[in-house]
Order: sequence, then structure tokens, then C-alpha cells
Amino acid sequence: MHLNVGKLPPLIATILLICSLASAVPAAADTNQCAPSGKDGAIALPKKLATANRPHEDKYTTADVEPLSSVDIGALGLHTPRTLTVGTLSQAPPTSCLSPGGQYTGFDNELLRAIARKLGLQVVFVGTDFSGLIAQVASRRFDVGSASITATDARRRTVGFSNGYDFGYFSLVVPSGSPIDSFDELAPGQRIGVVQGTVEDAYVVDTLHLQPVKFPDFATVYTSLKTHQIDAWVAPALEATNAMRPGDAAAIVAYTFSLGNYVAYAVAKDNQPLIAALNSGLDAVIADGTWSQLYTDWVPRPLPPGWEPGSKSALTPHLPDFAVIAERHHRAVDETAPPKSTLTQLRDSFFDWELYKQAIPAMLTTGLPNTLILTVSSSVIGLAVGIALAVAGISRARWLRWPARIYTDIFRGLPEVVIILLIGLGIGPVVGGLTNNNPYPLGIAALGLTAAAYVGEIFRSGIQSVESGQLEASRALGLSYRSSMALVVVPQGIRRVLPALVNQVIALLKASALVYFLGLIAGQRELFQVGRDLNAQTGSLSPLVAAGVFYLILTIPLTHLVNFVDNRLRHGRSVAEPENPLDRIASTTSQEMT
Amino acid sequence: MTDRLAHPQPVSLAGKGIHLSFGRNTVLRGIDIEAPAANTVAVIGPSGSGKSTLLRTLNRLHEPDSGDILLDGRSVLNDDPNRLRQRIGMVFQHFNLFPHRSVLDNVMLAPRKVNRLSADAARELALTQLDRVGMKHKAESRPGALSGGQQQRVAIARALAMAPQVMLFDEATSALDPELVKGILALIADLGSDGMTMLVVTHEMGFAKSTSDTVVFMDHGQVVETGPPEQIFEAAATERLQRFLSQVL
Repeated sequence: MHLNVGKLPPLIATILLICSLASAVPAAADTNQCAPSGKDGAIALPKKLATANRPHEDKYTTADVEPLSSVDIGALGLHTPRTLTVGTLSQAPPTSCLSPGGQYTGFDNELLRAIARKLGLQVVFVGTDFSGLIAQVASRRFDVGSASITATDARRRTVGFSNGYDFGYFSLVVPSGSPIDSFDELAPGQRIGVVQGTVEDAYVVDTLHLQPVKFPDFATVYTSLKTHQIDAWVAPALEATNAMRPGDAAAIVAYTFSLGNYVAYAVAKDNQPLIAALNSGLDAVIADGTWSQLYTDWVPRPLPPGWEPGSKSALTPHLPDFAVIAERHHRAVDETAPPKSTLTQLRDSFFDWELYKQAIPAMLTTGLPNTLILTVSSSVIGLAVGIALAVAGISRARWLRWPARIYTDIFRGLPEVVIILLIGLGIGPVVGGLTNNNPYPLGIAALGLTAAAYVGEIFRSGIQSVESGQLEASRALGLSYRSSMALVVVPQGIRRVLPALVNQVIALLKASALVYFLGLIAGQRELFQVGRDLNAQTGSLSPLVAAGVFYLILTIPLTHLVNFVDNRLRHGRSVAEPENPLDRIASTTSQEMT
Repeated sequence: MTDRLAHPQPVSLAGKGIHLSFGRNTVLRGIDIEAPAANTVAVIGPSGSGKSTLLRTLNRLHEPDSGDILLDGRSVLNDDPNRLRQRIGMVFQHFNLFPHRSVLDNVMLAPRKVNRLSADAARELALTQLDRVGMKHKAESRPGALSGGQQQRVAIARALAMAPQVMLFDEATSALDPELVKGILALIADLGSDGMTMLVVTHEMGFAKSTSDTVVFMDHGQVVETGPPEQIFEAAATERLQRFLSQVL
């Protein structure tokens, strides 16, 4: 083996990076945002609440509900019998989030668990993106969507809703020192952040008539706000309050009521039995005090005047006087603490050693195996389909060549995200019976089919680059065309493209992170998603840096492996062949160095 | 079996009225050529005259548009071309060794895959042939580690391992450094004196003169003159051959 100087810099950089991580000073703990605050965390309803946009008429809340005993759980249209499959968010504490222990929790999810217990149902939570959640509920990929979804008229065109279990209002969050201090001051030309597909998104577009900057999740909007990449964030009030840490360079400056009447669980429109069952369960958990308990634990704040959870005949919940508690703890919503220095902020963001210790076990047990499974299985698909494409591509038969060409053009021409979403969300419902509505195999298929287009082209160019004399010589010896291709031409072609193929595997390894768009249960999360979840729970980028280090640990050796193998193939087995004295010198030095 | 492979019976090879064109480009225009059993026929002529194409047509790497190919007096145009090529060995200008296989594997490949010899038998056969061309000591090397002359010796051993009844040489020395040419020519000459039927396309006039039984002069896809070397080189009948010889000698 032959160690050239060009390989050293990346190696040194990696070592330096790891050392710098190790030496970083541990930052303050208390980073878990996905835990109940308890009633001492109560906040008062904001005084500056603008109520103009609140619809006065409630035409959807049911007058009463069926008794629990009359619910037939066999008739709920669940895709797994006796189990509620629930689409939720991993990154929207306190209403829905993934705990550091890998459990989906938050007010919405804990309440849904309690309701399911009343109904005698199991619950399986699956993390997804808000922008895709309602579509996935409509296509029955999920039985229930649980993500603080405001039941707007627009959404009622796509899905049905249970009765309300919570209410929502918006906060206007701006960076410290911003001149903006009310919704009226938002104007064209400002960068206003929202999470795509949320009611805030709709509010900015339809009510304020402005064009917002759309983000996939709350953590990303908030990070962008703190770094002044956007001028304002129209946020759900609870999530905003929860995300903001003392010392953050941001402030809530105004509030307004959310569109629609209340927050409710989304259910496929035609699944009335399940809606009715959820309504029965909701009234039952209100009646026995569970709702009040969970509400007090997770989202303690006074109910707005004129609104109560459950059906119109549900009991009125007994709640502590949160306004008084909030007063006592001086937890005014717009309090600010002294800002941290830039250096401290950077260290907390990137080199929070405590978070590395939290992230690494989950990455080793969950993230790494899943990333490897995704990469290896999609590589196998990519290789198999790619070889078929290459063979078809060099065939003399037009009916083989043309489909291969078209396939390659399409899959090479589309962004991977588009393919993953189209296959995962589009093909998903069609083959739902086969995959048990598990998007994991579809993600593998999407990655593999995309890779196949590249692999096919790599093989084709490799095979076609083998001199025609090789085929001629083989045929002149009496070998058939097929044997000549299999024994002489293709092996040489593959050797030539081995580096390109390994690059493709590296690309796949990185692209495997995109599978998170399809919604994965906690045990299916790959490296990126594990880091992303922890990043969302804590607001620190350290878990993402940890994920990055894992990716580098996988990819850098792969790159060097291919160089080594490439050399081997070029110069033959390591039988001593003194034709190149320089090679021998290089190999002795590398031995001394190890 | 091994015995038959080691000492094939020499046979004659002939082409009758061969025509071949690639699209609108006519390359062979009615070639008549014959190599009697155990004879060496040298094919000479200017570049582009169709010499190499003729060789590739005789083992049906190119299929002739019309005409006939006779091996041992029998037409082979309806045979399986793979079977025909097992009986006709070919050596190329650029050696065309398989660079991803060792020298030994290059020689063993066809006996293994085509003649279905066991690995041991094929190895023994290959080592015998490598020894015959003086390359046994490089059996484990890759072709890339050999000089041009050594590679061409291996290519000859590879062709001989199939125990061909006829050998075709396509400018076997043209890509070699001048000091290596002699050794390869001597090896080819030795094969001829062992009784192999051979067609040798060459630019080495000295070789054609001294070693061949018959010299065929081709130009523009046609055989212009055929005769024993002394007649071709001392008493050229046509103006075209005289001009060619005046340029190369």
C-alpha cells in the first residue's frame, strides 16, 4: 500500500475536529425541551391579544357524544386492527415531540394515549413533517394526525376533525432590538418565517397578504431568527414560548388568535366512526380529570373566554388559576435575560459536550444501524437495476435501449427529494398492503432506483471504454459473445469505474438522510434524524455536528478504501515486482509509519 | 486429448472470391488466397489495402458479403463461428492481452472455458505453452508489467494453447521496439518450421523473403500478385508491386 501526502490533510482535519470537540467546555444542562413544565411553568394569557380575526360562530363542535360503551372498535377503519397509527411531529414541544428516551410525547400525544386507553386501543406514533401530515392522514397512511392542528375550514376540505382539545394563538417573535412590535408593522420586503402548511402560514398569506419564508419545522425557523436570517417569526404561541431560552436574542412582541376555532385531531374525512370514537374518548378524559392533569403539566395557561374542550355537553374542566400562578412566579411572557456572548453562543451551538454524550448512544444503537441498512439495501438495488440498465443501454435492440435511456433521463434529472416524496407518498398508498404502510422499504426503493440511473451510466461508460481489441481477442480464442463480455470486457469495465461506484455509495449514504421526509417511527430514525430531533429538542446544533462526525467516520475510510483497491487492481497482487523502484520505497515508508 | 492438443494436424486454409464492405466502403473486392497445409503465407501491401480485414474475415470476426472460406478443403461458412475460431489462432498487432488477469490466466482462460479443461490440466497446458515461448518465469505477472516483446510472446502462447490448426498473425511486430522484433519473428519462423499453417500479415520484407513459402501482395482490397518470395521480390510483374517494393526496401 502506498500512502501519499495528499491523504494526510483530511485525516489531520478529522483528528483536529474530534480533539476540539473533546476539549470544548461542557455547557449548562437543562436542555431538554420535551418534558412537561408542570403548573409552575404557567403563563398568563397575553394582554395584547388581538381578537379581531377570531370567528364567532362554532358550527362544528358536536352537541354531545356516543357513550364509550357503544363504540365498536372493530368498525373504526384502522389500518392495523386495535391500533391507532398516529402521525405526529418530533420537534414541536410542548404539544408534540420526541423525548430524549425516544418516546413520542407532548400534550397532544399524551392526551391521545389517554383517549386510546379509554377506547381500548394501542397507539403507534410515527414522526413526520407538518407539511405532509394532513395529506398522509387523508390518504389513510395515518389513522390520526396529532400535531396541534388547528381545525380550519380550508383543512376540513381535505380531512375531518375531532372536537377541540386545545386552542391556539399566534406570537410574533422578532430578534432583539427589532423595530417591529405588532402584526400591523409586518410589510412586504420583510422576511417573515413560518412553518410550511401551518395556520400561521395561511394567516400570513391570506390575512396579512404577505409572502412568508417557509420552513420545514419550528427549530429551523427559530435558529434562522436568532441568526437574523429572517426579520420575524409568526409562531404558535406555545411552541414559541417553549423554544425561547433565557438569554436568546429574540423577543415575543405581539399575539393574535389563531384562525379557526380550536386545535383537534385530524382523521380521514370519510372515517366518521373514528371521529365519533375520539370525541367519546375526549369527553371521557375530560370527565375523569385526565385532560386537566395533562393540560396543567404540559400547557398550563388560562382558557380563553368562551372556549372549553370536548363536545358542548362535556363537563367543564377544573383548572388551577394559572393567571395567579404566573403572576406569583413573575413569569411574564416578554421577560428577557442578559444576552450571552457570541463565543459562548457558538460553543453552545456546536460543542456542547453534554449533548454529544446524549446523542452518541442513540446514534450508535438507532441512527447508525438504520443509516447502514438504508445505504446497503439501496446500494444492492442500485447495483442490480444499474447493471440491467447498462446491459439494456449497450444492447443493439432498440426496444431495450430506449426504455433504459428514458429511465435514466428521468431518474437522473429529478432531485432526490422529489423522487423520495413521489415514491413514498404517491406509490405508498398503492402498495400499502404489501409494505404494511411502512415507508421504510419505499425509501430504500426510491434511493435505490435513483442510484440505479447513475450506476447504469457508470457501468455503461466503463464497459464501453474497454478497447474493442479485448472483445476481438477473446472472440478470436473461440469464446462466445456472452462469455467474452462476462469474462473479459465487463470485469475490466467494472474495475475502471470502481472509484465512481464507491462515490455513488457515498452519495447514497448521505442521501439516506432524506428518508425522514416520509415519516419514520422512533426505531427507524437514521443518523441525521436522530441528530435533528435532539437538535430540535435542545436548540443546539451539537447533535447535528455529532451526526456529521458519524457520516465522516463512514465516508472518509470508504474514499481511502477505494484508492487502495484501485491501486491494487492497477498494479496486480502484491507479488514483489521490482519494475517500479519508487513503489517499493513508498511501501517501506508506509510500513515504518504504521 | 492432451496429445491431440499438443500436436494438431496442420490443415489448409483458403478464401475464394471474398467480398466485404462496411456500409458504402468496400474493403475486400474478390480475394482469392490459399495457405496449403504446413505452409507459411506472407501477406504484404500498403496500409489500407485490406490485409488485416482479410485475416479477420478468414476467422469470421467479419462475415464476408460473398465468397467462401475453406478449412481443410471444406466450407466453414455454415459452421458455428466459435468452433471455427478454436481451430484458427490469431495474434494481434497490439497483443490484446487481458490486463486484469495474470499471464497464466490469460493463457488458461480459453482452454478452461471453451475446451472445458480442468484447472490443473489447463495450468499444465498453459505452462507448457509459456515455456515454449520463453515466458514461463512471468506466469504470475500482470501483462502490464511486461515489455512489448514479452507481451507478444504471451499472446502467441495464448493462441497456441487452443491447439489451432492454422495461425493468423496481424502485423505482430509492428508495435514493438526494433530490438524486440527479431525475437518474435524467430518465434514465428520456428512455428512455421514445426509445420504450422500460417498467414502472416507483415511489413518485415526480410521475414517475408526468408521464411514464407508464398508471398501475397494486396492493394485496394485485391490480390495483385501471388508467388514464391524469390519471384515477388526479384521479378515483380506489376507496376504496383514494383512501386511498393521500391518504397519499402
